[in-house]
Amino acid sequence: MSYKIEIEDLNAWFVNNHVLRDINMKIRQNAVTAIIGPSGCGKTTLIRCLNRMHELVPGARVSGRVLLDEEDVYSNGIDPVTVRRRIGMVFQKPNPFPMMSVYDNVAAGLKLNGMKDKHKLDETVEKSLNLAHLWDEVKGELNKSGASLSGGQQQRLCIARALAIEPEVILMDEPCSALDPSATAKIEKLIRDLGKDYTVVIVTHNMQQAARVSDFTAFLYLGELIEYADTRSIFENPQNKLTENYITGKFG
Amino acid sequence: MSRLIDIGLEQLSRLLFKMGDLAEKTVLLSLDSYMEGLEVQESVRIWSETLVALSEQVEEKAIELIARFQPVASDLRTIESYAKIAYDLSRYGRYAWDITFIHKRLNVSSGDCMFPSLPIRELNEKVKNIVHISIEAVKKNDVCLAKKIGEIENEVDAVYYECLDKLAEQDRITTKCLVTNLLFVRHLERIADHASYIGESITYLVTGERVSLRGQMSNES
Amino acid sequence: MNDYMVRKIKDRIMVSLAYLALIVALIPLVSILTETMLRGAPAINLSFLTERIPPLGQPGGGIGPAIQGTLIVVGIASMIGVPIGLFSGIYLAEFRETKLASAARFLTDVSTNMPSIVIGIFGWALIVTAIGWSVIAGAFALAIMMIPIVTRTTEEAIKLVPVTIREAALALGVPRWKTTITVVLSSAKKGIATGILLSIARIAGETAPLLLTILGSRFWFGGFTEPTAGLPLAIFNFSQSPYSTIDWPRAWGASMVLIFMILGINVVVRYFTREKYG
Repeated sequence: MSYKIEIEDLNAWFVNNHVLRDINMKIRQNAVTAIIGPSGCGKTTLIRCLNRMHELVPGARVSGRVLLDEEDVYSNGIDPVTVRRRIGMVFQKPNPFPMMSVYDNVAAGLKLNGMKDKHKLDETVEKSLNLAHLWDEVKGELNKSGASLSGGQQQRLCIARALAIEPEVILMDEPCSALDPSATAKIEKLIRDLGKDYTVVIVTHNMQQAARVSDFTAFLYLGELIEYADTRSIFENPQNKLTENYITGKFG
Repeated sequence: MSRLIDIGLEQLSRLLFKMGDLAEKTVLLSLDSYMEGLEVQESVRIWSETLVALSEQVEEKAIELIARFQPVASDLRTIESYAKIAYDLSRYGRYAWDITFIHKRLNVSSGDCMFPSLPIRELNEKVKNIVHISIEAVKKNDVCLAKKIGEIENEVDAVYYECLDKLAEQDRITTKCLVTNLLFVRHLERIADHASYIGESITYLVTGERVSLRGQMSNES
Repeated sequence: MNDYMVRKIKDRIMVSLAYLALIVALIPLVSILTETMLRGAPAINLSFLTERIPPLGQPGGGIGPAIQGTLIVVGIASMIGVPIGLFSGIYLAEFRETKLASAARFLTDVSTNMPSIVIGIFGWALIVTAIGWSVIAGAFALAIMMIPIVTRTTEEAIKLVPVTIREAALALGVPRWKTTITVVLSSAKKGIATGILLSIARIAGETAPLLLTILGSRFWFGGFTEPTAGLPLAIFNFSQSPYSTIDWPRAWGASMVLIFMILGINVVVRYFTREKYG
């Protein structure tokens, strides 16, 4: 039982907009942690602060510490690019590289970072597609364009692409919101399986999904962490009235 | 902001409160009639069957709400507790009915088997009280009342054991009277038990904690 | 039903007017094409395309040097203009918010509308006065015309690449510069290629800059610092010639060749940017 990521006094701004306030939380290793909350509460910003994607937006600012294996990713000597190789991200709308085949998409992270060994690439592509539960569906047609797959398959392709660079943490920003129910179910099963070997943090506005998929749930409201506990407790007996009102649909 | 599930929850609680009133009425009638020697089997039987039917309705409504709305937190606890309480209320009716049968089946009339040292009246009053408080606790979602149920239940247990002791001591009592009294106090004790279950369900509904309101007494013989 | 009929009539009138306007707009274009082809086609033959003009006033020969001159000058202009325009466009797209970018964008927009004769004079003043009428001067002037066009179309093409593609690459731990050069550029390549080809088509037909820089010649290419022939110049000169019976058909022929060259580039662009199905 250890913490992969420890967030200390994290604050984030978009120009003058104070989006995250004094966030303190510890994310358990090899578990799935869900972050829920109404629109605009800062949940996407929170995970983008973990892999240093938030600062790419002009006018964005961060303060505080994010410890990955007890090392602050924001400390002066750290190159954000290396952080992003250890923390992968899957986005809301599936975004495979349109000009590339399935194979090239999965291998993209490796190739762009310099790997040329064809054999190793083949191996990694197959392993990643297997991990993403997509291998059986595409194995005969790795040269097909990435964009020719269905929405659910594309999202699994993006997950395979993220897994290929062998990250330790996987961040997911509402990964199922653009998908139909059966594609969603497949990805939820995948997330559960990934949680055994990776530290997964998933942002979702669908509370049922958070309840199904996660071991721990954090509730964010107006940039503050209101409650954070194991999923069972949050959904059976939340301690904070705000949490209770949100998850029972009284607001938000 | 009112939600879709609120309509269903409203229907559920109305059903339950209706059950509560009917259950209390049934128990009161049965207990008083036993003490007075009145014949009320028919009424009590009908009410008891109504209670069973109502409890089935409550269960179905609860399942429907779960299937449709995937409730969480207090909604979920409410639905689970109400389903349990409905069962307990139907048991009130059942025991009330059983009590009306005692005299008839054993061919005994009320005054025959009473004797002063047997604290049956006291037991009777306590059980009527505990039933009343349990219904109040349900209607008001009151945890304090639930705790009170626990206290009274302890008192009921104490009197119950006293009755058992007294009955065991009697050497000039007919078997018929023994059985009559035993059955009566036994049913009363079970009614009180179900009242404490109701108290526990209400406590869980409000606080999310599962507690035991029974057996808090230090000495039980 | 009266209202309905009135509306129907109004509708028909409007549609007819629009239709008429379209026809009127197309007339000049169609008549240019047909006229050019009718008058130019007789002059076209293999020798016309491959030989130079014989000495004064004699028939035969052709615009071989002019074609060659145009190709060389446009080619060199592209070699200068395309890389500069491309990287400027990348800069503008990547560093959108900086003051330099805003200023550059403004200047670029102004430059696209600069009169070509002014650019010609600039080229003349800078290069011709230094090294004389030359291919280099012509290429220089045409490159100046080309750069703003390529810059803007490149910038627009890159801006069209969805930010999600960029983010996907960044999230994989690819450094920003590499993301731009690999993923973003390859997503934008159609748009960029279109911009480049269209700018080539544009400068191939410009006459004014050539007037003041390459001077024109009846001979084949003789060196980068020497004057050379060009198609637009040839057309101009033929049309001014007193030997109308010989030279005017040559003008039409050269016009046809030039139009076909430009049309050809446009058709190629169309072909490669068509919507593919499946």
